[in-house]
Amino acid sequence: MTTQTSRWQRALRGWFDPRGRDAGLIAFALNRISGLALVLYLVLHLCVLSTLTHGEPAWEGFLRLAHTPLFFLLDMALFAAILYHGLNGVRVSLIGLGYGGRQQKSLFYGLAAAAVVIWGIAVWLMATV
Amino acid sequence: MQNAVERGGSRGGTWPLQAISGIVLLFLLGLHVIAQHFVAAEGMRNFQDVLSYIRNPLILVLEVVFLVVVTYHAMLGVRGVVADLGLTRQQENTVNVVLTLVGVVLVAWGVYLAWFLVARA
Repeated sequence: MTTQTSRWQRALRGWFDPRGRDAGLIAFALNRISGLALVLYLVLHLCVLSTLTHGEPAWEGFLRLAHTPLFFLLDMALFAAILYHGLNGVRVSLIGLGYGGRQQKSLFYGLAAAAVVIWGIAVWLMATV
Repeated sequence: MQNAVERGGSRGGTWPLQAISGIVLLFLLGLHVIAQHFVAAEGMRNFQDVLSYIRNPLILVLEVVFLVVVTYHAMLGVRGVVADLGLTRQQENTVNVVLTLVGVVLVAWGVYLAWFLVARA
């Protein structure tokens, strides 16, 4: 049990401690953290959509909450997690298929830059529409 | 023994399925986000607009397929994370059963919501 616990602690510490790790390993850890956050969001999303079953007043109440600044910030964080997880997934798939293995570091930084640009455009659209 | 982060990969052995469902998701999620949040006025649909939206059979099918693929991808991802914690074969089998049940419940929950809304549309 102690061995198993220490294995779990080591695995989890690997995700949150970026010291001495290269870009590929940080990308992998971030992919898992963003993935778990998105799984949690999937459940929360179904909870929120369930307010539709309580009728129009309940949904309108949620819409008022959805237009608050805090909700906007959470939306931005969600979109960042989706973008990161999606683009990094493309990178991992390409490498898994044998493409870009030697350029995986530049691929990571390139896709991270693309994510920041797309995220910026989305924030601007969401803030102004 | 290296952990998953040190190896830079999952021990789950299901990455091709994860990659294929992920690529499909990029397409479905793009459609979902654009349709739900960029086309809708003020980024969200009001109650009546939600009912009209889900009444469209094409949208209904797309949303249900999206739910199935996203749930499959999510459960596969969680399975990979848990597998890398170094479980025994028996523990892994239990995790597989639990995650399959969780996935079925999530899909059933979403399908019930869709059915409920279509019945009121």
